[in-house]
Amino acid sequence: MTKRLRLTQILVYLFLTIAAFFCLLPILMAIMNSFKTNGELLTDVMALPKGLSFDNYIRTFNKMHYMRSLLNTVILSGLSVTLMVLFSALAGWRLCRTKTKLSAFILGLFIFSMLIPFSSIMIPLYKVVLALGIKNSLVGLSFIYAGLGVSMAIFLYHGFVKGIPIELEEAAAIDGCNAFQTFFLVVLPMLKPVTITIVITNVLWIWNDFLLPLIVISDNKKYTLLLSTNTLFGQYSSDWTAILSALILAALPVIIFYSFFQKQILEGISEGSLKG
Amino acid sequence: MKNFKANASLMLFVTPALIVYFIFKLMPAVSGLYYAMTDWNGINKTFVFVGLSNFIEVLKDSYFWDSVLFTFKYVIVMVFVTNVIALLLAVVIENLHRAKGLFRTLFYMPNMISMIIGGYMWMFIFTKVMYYLADNWGWTFLDKSWIGDPKYAFIAIIVVATWGAVGYLMIIYMAALQGVPAALKEAALLDGANPWQQFWHVIFPMIRHAVTICVFWTLNSGFQVFDVIYSLTGGGPGRATQSTAMNIFEEAFRGNVRYGYATAKSTVLFAIVLVITIIQIRAMQKKEQEA
Repeated sequence: MTKRLRLTQILVYLFLTIAAFFCLLPILMAIMNSFKTNGELLTDVMALPKGLSFDNYIRTFNKMHYMRSLLNTVILSGLSVTLMVLFSALAGWRLCRTKTKLSAFILGLFIFSMLIPFSSIMIPLYKVVLALGIKNSLVGLSFIYAGLGVSMAIFLYHGFVKGIPIELEEAAAIDGCNAFQTFFLVVLPMLKPVTITIVITNVLWIWNDFLLPLIVISDNKKYTLLLSTNTLFGQYSSDWTAILSALILAALPVIIFYSFFQKQILEGISEGSLKG
Repeated sequence: MKNFKANASLMLFVTPALIVYFIFKLMPAVSGLYYAMTDWNGINKTFVFVGLSNFIEVLKDSYFWDSVLFTFKYVIVMVFVTNVIALLLAVVIENLHRAKGLFRTLFYMPNMISMIIGGYMWMFIFTKVMYYLADNWGWTFLDKSWIGDPKYAFIAIIVVATWGAVGYLMIIYMAALQGVPAALKEAALLDGANPWQQFWHVIFPMIRHAVTICVFWTLNSGFQVFDVIYSLTGGGPGRATQSTAMNIFEEAFRGNVRYGYATAKSTVLFAIVLVITIIQIRAMQKKEQEA
């Protein structure tokens, strides 16, 4: 019995190790080959690089305007999520605390559109972008992300507020806080757990979103990391050493972010999806 | 009067969210219905109402319906493949004594990386590494035109999309599995249930809501698939792996710039997604009531 149990355990770990290897394969292959010269890569993709040369990285770092693209992506994700959290916390809290027909109607209005696929609205949205003159504007794009993301965030805030007692807010009102003071001083701090979930899921979404920036941003000074990477891929269609180093550079921020916050990220993901 | 005051204060708080939502989501969705009936394009300055002629053209557009068919094929395969693998990994990892966190972290990793980057990384594997292994290590079964042959390109897309999605679903399944009380599992074992029976009769009914969520998510994201195909095959060879989202994108932003016509296509896509969502919600509700 114990012998059989042991064998199953070994098989389980073997299976998981192979699966994990498969999981990391493209990343590992990209790292390994990004340090090679073109000649090395062409002769043997499976060999270790002969030396640790960063030439490819320096080349692509400049070519894809790495720091500028990174900064654009940070600004875009940061501003989008700030707007989204602020707008939807205000709305979600008040929608939950107001028991009127209008409140139920507005909540329904926000939620029903969660089914509309992005590709169904992207062309009319492009028209709106042109009309407002926000093509190539990262700030404008942030407001778009806020608009697309508020539904889900309001839904989560609304559900969370239901679970927190109203007495604190009433006490704040008696102490002379107006509604906005109550919100910023009392309510917003209590919403922290769900805010973390919303921030994480939306930062990841916006950071990795490709199609919307592809449509809205055409000025390469405003390019996000993904847009720069994509352009570089087109320019170096067969120079894999350049492409792979660019891919690693583009993936690096998320990998670092993940290694620091993996606990919060994994919790945020499961919280967000099981509630939503 | 009391309601009026409550509503007035409500509007004060809701307005910022309502404005961005209205301008960037609701209005495009509704105005799309109008644009779909115009000949709006990127070349002429003005456009006119053309009634249903765009929709009639969509009905006859075989490229569009090929892309719909491809998307359906993709969605069906993805729903099964990703959910089975994710659930399997979740169950196996949940039962580990050691290295649980490590495997969880590793398997979720691809999900962090954009499918644009992931797709290009895999393209290197499919176009360079596979041939190398076939030529030098004798793994001749890898010697296929992974990007150039429609049949293998489909497999390649599924492999990469699965690689990117499984970790996410696995996390959801693991969270659900942690919610199953240990006492229930032990009771089933004491009653003489084997692990297989224990899973299907005790655990599975208790994580059904997670299955609903995951299937819903795979369906929804599947119908919108764009990034992975864009980076891996670009919809090719020819248009063999073109998804509906890509077909719409190309109609509007590549070459044709026929915005009105592309909007008609996207309206049809929305109708399809809506019908499937309704069917799915009905079916899932029925299943959950039966359980």
